[in-house]
Amino acid sequence: MSNIALSVKDLHIRYHALKPVSIKNSIIKPKRIKKDFFHAVKGVSLEVPKGQIVGIVGKNGSGKSTLLRAIAGVFSPDEGSIDLYGNSVSLLSIGVGFQSMLTGYQNIFLSGLLLGFTEEQIRSKVKEIIEFSELGRFIYKPVKTYSSGMYSKLAFSITAILETDILLIDEVLSVGDAAFKQKSYNRMRTLIDDENRTVVIVSHSNKTLLDLCDTIIWMHNGKIKMKGDPTEVIDSYKKFMKVKG
Amino acid sequence: MQRFFKDLKRYYRYILYASKSELKSEVSYSYLNWLWWILEPVLFMLIYVFVVRIVFRTSEKYFPVFVLIGQMVWMYFNRTVKRSVKIVKSYRSVITKIYVPKFVFTLINMFVNSFKMFISFLIIIVMMLVSRVPLTWNILYFLPVVFVLNLVIFGICMILMHYGVYIGDLNNLINVLLRFIFYLSGIFYSVKNRVPAPYNKFVLKLNPIAFLIDQMRDVLIYGKKADLRFLVIWSVTGLLLSIVGIWKVYKNENSYAKVI
Repeated sequence: MSNIALSVKDLHIRYHALKPVSIKNSIIKPKRIKKDFFHAVKGVSLEVPKGQIVGIVGKNGSGKSTLLRAIAGVFSPDEGSIDLYGNSVSLLSIGVGFQSMLTGYQNIFLSGLLLGFTEEQIRSKVKEIIEFSELGRFIYKPVKTYSSGMYSKLAFSITAILETDILLIDEVLSVGDAAFKQKSYNRMRTLIDDENRTVVIVSHSNKTLLDLCDTIIWMHNGKIKMKGDPTEVIDSYKKFMKVKG
Repeated sequence: MQRFFKDLKRYYRYILYASKSELKSEVSYSYLNWLWWILEPVLFMLIYVFVVRIVFRTSEKYFPVFVLIGQMVWMYFNRTVKRSVKIVKSYRSVITKIYVPKFVFTLINMFVNSFKMFISFLIIIVMMLVSRVPLTWNILYFLPVVFVLNLVIFGICMILMHYGVYIGDLNNLINVLLRFIFYLSGIFYSVKNRVPAPYNKFVLKLNPIAFLIDQMRDVLIYGKKADLRFLVIWSVTGLLLSIVGIWKVYKNENSYAKVI
């Protein structure tokens, strides 16, 4: 068991009946709160051994991001279970979470503390993060003044330098300008080459996935359609998308 | 409950850092920055003194201190409660990325505002010395009163935080209710002396804010002892509210990210 870093068993996630209601509606027709729901993940099971790099492909809305968020602990499963075996996990995704009124510097600490690091640990890495993010003096400005590129660069730097056991990456391998892209790609490589790090990547870039991953999972409408060797899966995924398109 | 204390231990550094940052950013956004934390209570006090003394032609003993105390408790209550309704939404960017126990936000909210309350309290001490309020050891009863106040507010905020996620227009209702409580809490008048006979007891018994403001004035200005029996009753109520709130939020918090 010790070499499995992450296991998901028969996971179901639904978005349902949770629309915000108004007081008027809940008084007038309390029982008519709609029961329609969207079944985003329908019974996914997977096991990721320690140190493996898993890629997930699939068309938009197939439940990839929902799966990652569930693994990160943002949603609780409606059915099934997720076991991280005590590993720390961080999710890197587009438009990631900063508090826009606070400065980049403060956000580094807040994110770090949430990821389970102590202030001392963060302080020892903060210089490296700022350097990597190339933000310069902007780091002391509120995050809301950042351009979207700066925003993503900072997010990437935090996750890339404060290393967690499991890394979940949601389509952010192409952040910033060409130079930063290259740099982040290299950084990602070194992160991934660490034998103890487990990574799950969602991406639409087939080339990246072929480059980096040991296994690829193809999700379709909330289920796993295919799982296995990267070249095989990507090939049939490409074919499938052509037929549809 | 066990989970609550475990999470508290794990996240208290985050809570402290986040509260500090929020206060700092508030300061950096205004011209007079931290001076506002002093100016605001003082200016409001002047308004109430003007309205009550000149327009209504009444007063209480040590009126400026009297008003400042009411004002301090009210501001704390008002700010935390108002914020708690929308608080989950305001941390949207954080909770869609990583798991955070949501009571953490209520505590940040309370820390930020209790810091402002602390400043008001310093002003009150200065004013007490300036207006030569006789000091007695009963001032120490201030501590249990503040404790009960925090417990009640925590309970209310946790419950409102939960419903605020699902009920879009809850804050309209809360604004009206808060205004109602404002007038019924004796911020600028004495409930004991000004509300006619049987009703003043009702108000003091049923409205925790009126009761706590009254208690705070009793122990700080009038050198009386606190009403321990009612303090116990309200701390039990506050504790029950908090437990219900914590339980409700823990049960539902992982769905919040799906709604907002």
